[in-house]
Amino acid sequence: MDELLADFLAETAEGLAELDTALLRLERAPGDTATLALVFRLVHTIKGTCGFLGLPRLERVAHAAENLLGEVRDGTRVADGPLIGAVLAAADRMRAIVDGLARDGTEPAGDDGALVGQIEALRAGAPAPAPTPPTPAPAAAPAPPAPVAVEAPAAPVVVEPQAAAPAADQAVDPQVAGQTIRVAVEVLDHLMTLAGELVLTRNQLLQVARSQAGHDFAVPLQRLSQITSDLQEGVMKTRMQPIGGAWSKLPRLVRDLSQELGKPIELVMQGAATELDRQVLELIRDPLTHMVRNCADHAIEPPDERRAAGKPAVGKIRLTAVHEGGHIIVQIADDGRGLPVERIRAKAAALGFATAAELAAMSEAEIIRFIFRAGFSTAQEVTAVSGRGVGMDVVKTNIERIGGAIDVRSEAGRGTSFTIKIPLTLAIVAALVVQAGGERFAIPQIGVLELVRVGPGSENKVELIHDTKVLRLRDRLLPLADLTDLLQLPPADSEDRFVVVAQVGGALLGLIVDRVFDTEEIVVKPIAPILRHLSVFGGNTILGDGSVIMILDPNGIARAVGLAGAEERPEEAAHAEVLDMERSALLLMRAGGEGLMAVPLRLVARLEQVARGDVERSAGGPVTQYRGRLMKLITLAPRPADPAEWPAHSPVLVFARGRRIAGLVVDEIIDVVQDQLNVQLGAAGPGLLGSAVIDGRATDLLDVGYHLSAAIAGWFDDEHEQASARLLLVGGGRVAGLVPVLAAAGYGVATANDEAGALRLRDGGAMFDAVLVDRPDESDGFIRALRDAGAWRGLPLIALVGRVPAARLGQMRAAGWTDCVPGGDRALLADSLASCLSATVAA
Amino acid sequence: MDGQGARACLVVDDSRVVRKMARRMLEECGFSVSEAADGAEALAACRAAMPELVLLDWNMPVMNGIEFLRALRAEFVPGPPVLLCTTECEMERIIEALDAGATEYVMKPFDAPILRGKLEQVGLL
Repeated sequence: MDELLADFLAETAEGLAELDTALLRLERAPGDTATLALVFRLVHTIKGTCGFLGLPRLERVAHAAENLLGEVRDGTRVADGPLIGAVLAAADRMRAIVDGLARDGTEPAGDDGALVGQIEALRAGAPAPAPTPPTPAPAAAPAPPAPVAVEAPAAPVVVEPQAAAPAADQAVDPQVAGQTIRVAVEVLDHLMTLAGELVLTRNQLLQVARSQAGHDFAVPLQRLSQITSDLQEGVMKTRMQPIGGAWSKLPRLVRDLSQELGKPIELVMQGAATELDRQVLELIRDPLTHMVRNCADHAIEPPDERRAAGKPAVGKIRLTAVHEGGHIIVQIADDGRGLPVERIRAKAAALGFATAAELAAMSEAEIIRFIFRAGFSTAQEVTAVSGRGVGMDVVKTNIERIGGAIDVRSEAGRGTSFTIKIPLTLAIVAALVVQAGGERFAIPQIGVLELVRVGPGSENKVELIHDTKVLRLRDRLLPLADLTDLLQLPPADSEDRFVVVAQVGGALLGLIVDRVFDTEEIVVKPIAPILRHLSVFGGNTILGDGSVIMILDPNGIARAVGLAGAEERPEEAAHAEVLDMERSALLLMRAGGEGLMAVPLRLVARLEQVARGDVERSAGGPVTQYRGRLMKLITLAPRPADPAEWPAHSPVLVFARGRRIAGLVVDEIIDVVQDQLNVQLGAAGPGLLGSAVIDGRATDLLDVGYHLSAAIAGWFDDEHEQASARLLLVGGGRVAGLVPVLAAAGYGVATANDEAGALRLRDGGAMFDAVLVDRPDESDGFIRALRDAGAWRGLPLIALVGRVPAARLGQMRAAGWTDCVPGGDRALLADSLASCLSATVAA
Repeated sequence: MDGQGARACLVVDDSRVVRKMARRMLEECGFSVSEAADGAEALAACRAAMPELVLLDWNMPVMNGIEFLRALRAEFVPGPPVLLCTTECEMERIIEALDAGATEYVMKPFDAPILRGKLEQVGLL
């Protein structure tokens, strides 16, 4: 029975997927009897089969849909929008039931009465009402409204024949069905592993043979080599699936979005038959869906706007896939409004991704790449500017994880296109074998752009800017990572070295190596769990000579060296800026008075509008429903206790901490500014951290932590010990930006301008739970002074450091620092504080 | 159950699940079972080796049950008995099917006793 059920689930899932495409095709061509027959049969088969298995819910829904379709087949009604909508709704319900069945082994509980009733009502209402009259639809029929179909009689979603073809082929071509067998994926994966092993063994044999001239087995060995390659290719093919599989849900998605948004959209899919490894296919499915959704949602303009711009009212999204070398190029293009370059530029500035001067110098192409930066989209939501690029950082991460790359082009008013390059398979890659510090490493070739020889005999030289190695390459400064330093290997004796220039996202990174050997097809073996936390390695492999070497991951290396120029580490850059106080994004608003107030933007989870009608009074004050949960609203006096007297809409700053959320109701959000913070601490009353001059105006800095903990008991509960901890922050203006961050985390914070100031505080009898020092003096004089004597000798003392060599970190710890935290890494700082303080409590 | 003495039955249905289910029931009755996913496949199978019984679904892609039945009866006289599986929404077509040469029909979903009963009716058990 279980085996039958598994078969049933697979069969029904396929059937439902095919049903979706067929229904959309039928909607476009209601008279297409072949498609109608297919739709009928698919529903019929599901119904017929679930009768055998005793699945009453599924049978009932399928039966209702079948009856409705039966009328179309018998010619008593036409397959109009409402009918297609109803059958689609039935298909969705069946899918939900099948999902539940797959999960629990039984049909999930639920009542399909309403759905079945609607379908029956549609049947009873035959002959079908002609395209809905312009009178408002009765509220009682929520299921299949098709407002867009009315507005734009040219069907909202058009799928070109290329797209429909594969599905139709599957349904019609008897040869294919007859000559296909199903094989468990594990079997194929195992074959792939074995083929990989064979490749390795072959490589080993070839290596041995090379060292022995004139042996007898040259010819058979060559044959073996050829056959191995063919076998590997053949096995790889068995795992290939058409990319159409990852696209199958898109026509439906676009149709639904099109209706929902009132924008007619044409989805064109080309190259659906292009094949790639099923593992890769699985991994790109979600990013593709996400991007198509973005296109439909944000990029395509409403029809009026399009007409006004002289474009056809129907928007177009084009998906193409082609093979190119060992890669698949997938392109997602739309003819919409293009990315809002100026808005992205402004946002990048507000988020401190780059200085205004840098931004001004950047090309549009560079600017729009900011949409891939982590934190960009979140910030966009925060400022309520709903633009394109929601979650593009996640898309990029997912694609890079499989060794792919993504790029974007955009032209204002003409559209946007994303180009994704992904490897055909993840199991075998071409790699460059290099040596550093006597060890060999493999670097996947996909990311390698060029090799540069550096050293005395070359025109290219490694230069030092501050302590950072860079390479001047064709008028461009290339950040470098020295593998021997990074991996703490013995330095090379030769001055003559090589730089492997690798693409890391949109940036370039140079890896300094001692030697470059050859390129080789390597079989990627997963990295041992014990090494998995090392991001610099992407796996390991066995070379032809039998030695095991590590595969380097340029993305991981860029992260490990914290390259400021690399896009990969925007968080660090952003945090570093908090410390440096060069820029700090602040949300300016008015709340409970005429004066300006500011909150650091990064503390705010989201910006929302709350309607007066949605605010309820509770014993503890006003609350509202937020994403299915009750959210307490904090008001800054004066605001009427009765929400009925509030303005129709109030902006709300949503703060989140773990599972807890709270909303701060403000009167008006004025701007997001970045400014040098010159905070006068403690100058104002409770609930304020201090005041500062921002954009030339006196502004109060709101103490978010104070208001949250006052309104919600236990806001900081998970850090109870730290909640009352008092910290001394040494570093003057450079660390002022950390003050609100630490305060919001529940710490009491005092500051000292420099080390001398800190010592004066100590000698004056001040006591703290921990002392944080930004970039302490190199001579270690200060730490010795603290550790040698005085009341602070036993305190946790944490140094916030810039980029310092590992050896120096060791020295600093030896000198007495409890911990050294990279200045920009707020998360690390929080961890360090938590562990230092809990250690103190325990002691 | 050794295949030598067993009588051959061809199960024609586009659902893998139904084919598998029917196979189990028929094997219990002593048949050796082969499968086809549509009428065209079934016709090809009959041409290669005529079974002693065909269990036939109605609604299938490529070539449906009734088309298969007509082709089978036109090509082979008298041919094997054909048991047509239908659902209630195809009831009105049963006459058409019997005219086209179906020996008997069985309603879906069926279980082993029902199928056995039908086979007895046809004289195969």
